[in-house]
Amino acid sequence: MANKWEVFVMDLGELAEGKELELTIRTLNDGLHKYTYQRAKVEVSAKLDQFPDSLQVRLGRGQLSDRKFSIRVIERVERLPAQYR
Amino acid sequence: MAKISAPKSNREFIDACVASGDAVRIKQEVDWDNEAGAIVRRCCELGEAAPFMESIKDYPGFSYFGAPLSTYRRMAIALGMDPASTLPQIGAEYLKRTNSEPIAPVVIDKRDAPCKENILLGDDVDLCKLPVPLVHDGDGGRYVGTWHGVITKHPVRGDVNWGMYRQMMWDGRTMSGAVFPFSDLGKTLTDYYLPRGEGCPFATAIGLSPLAAMAACAPSPIPEPELTGMLAGEAVRLVKCETNDLEVPADAEIIIEGVILPDYKVEEGPFGEYTGYRTSPRDFRVTFRVDAITYRNNATMTISNMGVPQDEGQLLRSFSLGLELEKLLKSQGIPVTGVYMHPRSTHHMMIVGVKPTYAGIAMQIAQLAFGSKLGPWFHMVMVVDDQTDIFNWDEVYHAFCTRCNPERGIHVFKNTTGTALYPHATPHDRKYSIGSQVLFDCLWPVDWDKTNDVPTLVSFKHVYPKDIQEKVVNNWADYGFRGAKK
Repeated sequence: MANKWEVFVMDLGELAEGKELELTIRTLNDGLHKYTYQRAKVEVSAKLDQFPDSLQVRLGRGQLSDRKFSIRVIERVERLPAQYR
Repeated sequence: MAKISAPKSNREFIDACVASGDAVRIKQEVDWDNEAGAIVRRCCELGEAAPFMESIKDYPGFSYFGAPLSTYRRMAIALGMDPASTLPQIGAEYLKRTNSEPIAPVVIDKRDAPCKENILLGDDVDLCKLPVPLVHDGDGGRYVGTWHGVITKHPVRGDVNWGMYRQMMWDGRTMSGAVFPFSDLGKTLTDYYLPRGEGCPFATAIGLSPLAAMAACAPSPIPEPELTGMLAGEAVRLVKCETNDLEVPADAEIIIEGVILPDYKVEEGPFGEYTGYRTSPRDFRVTFRVDAITYRNNATMTISNMGVPQDEGQLLRSFSLGLELEKLLKSQGIPVTGVYMHPRSTHHMMIVGVKPTYAGIAMQIAQLAFGSKLGPWFHMVMVVDDQTDIFNWDEVYHAFCTRCNPERGIHVFKNTTGTALYPHATPHDRKYSIGSQVLFDCLWPVDWDKTNDVPTLVSFKHVYPKDIQEKVVNNWADYGFRGAKK
């Protein structure tokens, strides 16, 4: 099943297409873990059928953008130092 | 002092509020995703009874209590007073109790502590097991801490701090929060932990007794455990944490233990705040790593939904900031007749009544107010004379519009300390807590001749002889007006 994700950006220009990005994204999948975050390497596209998952965008003060994207999560990035895991 | 009979726990407080009609039991299932927040927000904006939501989607056994102290009636109940008590009566009681002898807390055995009924450690720790609400649509996350206490201790001085620092769930083991550099916790971090690269133990207590929450919210120099005891008239019960040496209120509903990381930050915000806005964007902020969760059976999570007036963020902070400033000014011998913040100012305007007995008294008040620990939380001080009723906005507004000289009565203080939440501040000033403040001096100058220079106030109670006033009031209905207006 396709996953639903959301990202906060100050400017839509942060979501450049055609290259690998590292973003903090949160899951919008229903369930207990909805709205929890992870850091991930991703690709995004304005073509909604380009990648299997969908990405919703919010701006700096939480405003929902009307721009939608599809997203591919390439891999999760763990920034938390090892001693705290 | 007469025996105080105040609710000792969040549960006793809910029962008292339900009994007086100041809380409503909601039996039908409520969604933690926006719906609970929307209910609380609407209650705040309508001045409604507090919602006690007994069935939460996905979280059987848990409940929510929203808007716990967003009315003066519930504040009176929290203090064990008649819900119909007036604001000056509630304020006088707060001052009486907080000027009494400190009451030290007692530490009880873990087996007697309700907050230890369920203990999650190791791989069982997951914040998603708690019904953490999405308070406002568009918030940066689900907020664990909206009405709570973050408990820390300075490792050298031993100062215990219970502070209300908002906390967002980032993932199941991580929270991030807004901790201003001028706050007690902010100073402890920058003074000790961050330079040493050491983690700061913390415990977040949710579902506190209303007086413990009041203490956590109050900008008082008295340590919060003692302050809670003074407000309640008896010692607060504490119990030691599972994973660190901190002590937490034993009757709290939920305890989250862990460490504030010195060298790792995750994003936090945006979040709807007491100013009525989402002011600051998300940013990398103080990060809390969770090691343990303990909670009562059938735990109740408290929710404050801050936004436009009026919620407890405005009401309680206005109340305690005003009264703490009154104590400070009186300690300096200034003849203040009262201090009040109207909650609708979102605790940004301090109104001070004073007997104007010497020149420069308004400036002295402003310098003390802005220069104190309280100062960053408001940016306007308005000083009126003792003939103006500080609780009556009509009178205060009239005094401001007529007595504050544009040239001599308005004094701007630049490069002071502000908060990141000030909507009027620039993004740069918010980021670095740079503030500016203003005094509105609404006093007649002392060097004006009181007979010939000071205008005479033209109002019913000021210009007519007492016998005429009484005659008119007593005959009011006979004149044909509806009701005998006093």
